[in-house]
Amino acid sequence: MALTTTPANRKEAWGRRVLALAVVTAVGFVGLVGQLWYLQVLEGGRMHELSEKNRIRVRPVAAPRGILFDRNGLALVDNRPAFTLSLIPREMDDRNTVMARLAVLLKMPVGDLLEALERVPADSIRPVRVRRGLTLEEVTKVEERKLELPGVVVEVEPQRVYPNSTFAAHLLGYVREVSDEQMKQGRYRRGDMIGQSGLERLLDDYLRGRDGGERIEVDAMGRPVQVMRREEPDPGAQVITTIDRRVQEVAEQAMIGRAGAVVVLDPRNGDVLALTSSPAFPLDRLTGNLDRDEWLRLVKDPLTPLMNRALQGQYPPGSVFKIVVAAAGLQEGTLAPMDRIYCNGEFTLGNWTFKDWKPGGHGHMDLRSAIAHSCDVYFYQAGLKIGGDTMARYAHAFGLGMPTGIDLGGERFGLVPFSAARPRKRPLQAGETVNMSIGQGQLLVTPLQVARMMAAVANGGILWKPRLVQRVERADGSLAYSSSSKMTERAELSPVVWAFLRNALTAVVKEGTGAAARIPGLEVAGKTGTAQTIAKSDSAKGQDHAWFASFAPADDPQMVVVVFVERGGHGGDVAAPVARKIYEAFFLQKVAQVTIGESG
Amino acid sequence: MLRLDRRLLQNVDWLLLGAALFIIGLSLVCLWSLNPTRGISSLVWRQISWVGVGLIGLLVVASVDYRNLVRSAPVLYVIGLGLLTSVFVLGRTVSGARRWIHLGPFTVQPSELFKLIFIITLAWALTTGRGERSRTSLIGTFVLLGVPFLLVVRQPDLGTALCLVPVLAAILVGIGIPLKVLGGMTLAGVAFMPLGWFVLKPYQRDRLLVYLDPFRDPLGTAYNVIQAKIAIGSGQLLGKGVGGATQSRLSFLPERHTDFIFAVFAEMWGFLGCLVLIVAYVLLVMRGFEIAAGTREMRGRILALGVTTVFAAQVLINIGMVTGLLPIVGIPLPLMSYGGSSMVVSLTALGLLLSIRMRQFH
Repeated sequence: MALTTTPANRKEAWGRRVLALAVVTAVGFVGLVGQLWYLQVLEGGRMHELSEKNRIRVRPVAAPRGILFDRNGLALVDNRPAFTLSLIPREMDDRNTVMARLAVLLKMPVGDLLEALERVPADSIRPVRVRRGLTLEEVTKVEERKLELPGVVVEVEPQRVYPNSTFAAHLLGYVREVSDEQMKQGRYRRGDMIGQSGLERLLDDYLRGRDGGERIEVDAMGRPVQVMRREEPDPGAQVITTIDRRVQEVAEQAMIGRAGAVVVLDPRNGDVLALTSSPAFPLDRLTGNLDRDEWLRLVKDPLTPLMNRALQGQYPPGSVFKIVVAAAGLQEGTLAPMDRIYCNGEFTLGNWTFKDWKPGGHGHMDLRSAIAHSCDVYFYQAGLKIGGDTMARYAHAFGLGMPTGIDLGGERFGLVPFSAARPRKRPLQAGETVNMSIGQGQLLVTPLQVARMMAAVANGGILWKPRLVQRVERADGSLAYSSSSKMTERAELSPVVWAFLRNALTAVVKEGTGAAARIPGLEVAGKTGTAQTIAKSDSAKGQDHAWFASFAPADDPQMVVVVFVERGGHGGDVAAPVARKIYEAFFLQKVAQVTIGESG
Repeated sequence: MLRLDRRLLQNVDWLLLGAALFIIGLSLVCLWSLNPTRGISSLVWRQISWVGVGLIGLLVVASVDYRNLVRSAPVLYVIGLGLLTSVFVLGRTVSGARRWIHLGPFTVQPSELFKLIFIITLAWALTTGRGERSRTSLIGTFVLLGVPFLLVVRQPDLGTALCLVPVLAAILVGIGIPLKVLGGMTLAGVAFMPLGWFVLKPYQRDRLLVYLDPFRDPLGTAYNVIQAKIAIGSGQLLGKGVGGATQSRLSFLPERHTDFIFAVFAEMWGFLGCLVLIVAYVLLVMRGFEIAAGTREMRGRILALGVTTVFAAQVLINIGMVTGLLPIVGIPLPLMSYGGSSMVVSLTALGLLLSIRMRQFH
């Protein structure tokens, strides 16, 4: 079978065959060049982008939220580092697979993850925060499977931490991720934590700061090699409030198990030393991930823990209003301190009989003792003499029926009825006037209004705009905001009238209905109130709201304490002891010193 | 012992040698640039020493008459067989394959050396006895080479085995085996391919599947291909330079100084750099074909064609796999990849080519 060929022939044939093989090889090389052209020139841009994506990670550096301090420099709220799970859409090649893995790993619904991703562009390099407050165990799980989870990162973000769950809840407010509704304002970025209520919302622009960020180069294992550029976060500004943490704590403690509100003011400048509403909501459970059940529970709770009773709750003031009636009567000259009446426990007006709270009556009463013992019959008569519209004018002068101007949102106005404001200017009827004279009827006030009124009694008529924030300091120490005390109105009464009122209110505690607020070594002036409610209630404690509006020391007022206990019973029995605890806490040291001084 | 003929020196193929040394130069630069901050690393020094050893091999082989080498083929064959078998006894397992044996401080990859022995044995078998194209001699040749071939496959070193197939095919075409016979053999080979699937190890099957669909498992087996493609593509027209080659420098590329060194080069020097490198390879390979075509003596022809095709096959398969045209098989890029055995054997093989070229006109 061997081919018979001449050597020359054979050489030529060999050459041809080698040439053919060379051509085949050359075609192979041309193929390689073609593939390189495709990869490097045609697809080069895309590949370059992919290589950048490989090595560059953009990480936001969350700005720590500003801290709120009390007037003595104690923190009311602090930050601690918390782990947040974030997704970087651009780094995810196959988001369905990655999300499925993540969902199994952290036992969370895959739908939530995908939904979070759908809200942002698919090539975004900005992380989407999908879950806050990861446990250390969850962080470990995610970090261990880092390579299987491209685009999944765990960020460290400062998160709010509170002294206790409900501490100053209404005052501070909660912080939560910006909602869809708030996103529409265009001021926020998705995933921003913003204050949703209270001071956190009021001062959000100061507190929030500005997030920084860094571009880091990582190697194939995702280990950072170098920080290419870092923009430092701008920490939020620090807020120095007027609150006294100690007083706030004592007030909250004293109100445990009760519904109501406590307002503590400094009558000399209108500073709010404490402001609490009870029951309060758990701040820590509303911050970060919202627990839907918890939210529903809060909304449906008949005790409405979300409402700030101190400025949103409107209640009849009851006998506390007698201060206004006395002031009006004395200033107008309708009442004289010496005038005496006889109280037999009843007052008859036409077909109506108005009863005194004390069956059988108080006997002989002058204005001072009528205030001290809260004699209703005396004030029924006084009110009628003074007239409804005059009482209303004085109520307004003391700031009732109008907002106090406190910076917290949602303040209610209360209601002071007077003829000119009524439909067709129908004059107040005599019955209405009688009811009004003991703080009942249509009259409605907020505990904060009462506190401001008491401050005016204590300081001789100045109505302060309650001040919550002293100043806001930026991280570099510069002042971002400061506020001084503002006087909004002045109740003009003759000095004799002021002196009489203070004296009568001291008598309330010394010898009258406010005895439960008596503190050895400290003269407390105050007025109790027991307001009947119209609505029926099944509460075992009855239907009366308990009030105690007071200030101390009586001769040099430094502190106004107003306690309101919803359906609490008698003001003197229920509200006054709460006020005493607060005074004790605040003045304890001073009282102790005085005692030592006297004995020594 | 060696009679140096002045005519021999006149016929040294400087173009071939120049192309080879140029590629080696690029290789050293590439290895250095993987870690430029540490000066000339031990990696580069070791590669340089292997180049030295290879050049000695080249000189020795070039000065010896290749016909004597072919004559000693049976001895070389037995030595080669011995080395291949020793892998199974002394071998060190690296990533699932036993390819290396220890010789003092060095590790040697016998399958690299076997490439050369394969070609020499082929030349000996086809030119001894009753003539290169008799049927019995062909069958004998297959049996003779089949045994070590299977040993290589069993290691497993699929890459080496794969590039021997085109060598055999090229030599058979070269010596004028009728196309009918070649076609029949090809068909038989294709028919046996499904059987081959069962012989493959699981990781080899994965590689094949990944070749068919790179995004099957982007962080597993396909990771290498994807990262290599990104590295090459991101070099674009002009390359990122030494400092900017992030894919290579940040370890996104696997096997970056050995099998995937082309991707490193491509990322740093871009399309134009690749073109230069490929032109150097093409020059080298075409020069080899020219030498083969110009040789009158049969043993020289087979040797020259064998050496050229084994070289071309390795370059094509390596760059083909790194650029994603072919499935991943572990095969170094001759003269570029870091590795002693490959460098020494490649240079020695070039020595063989030079030797044939020098003696063409005898």
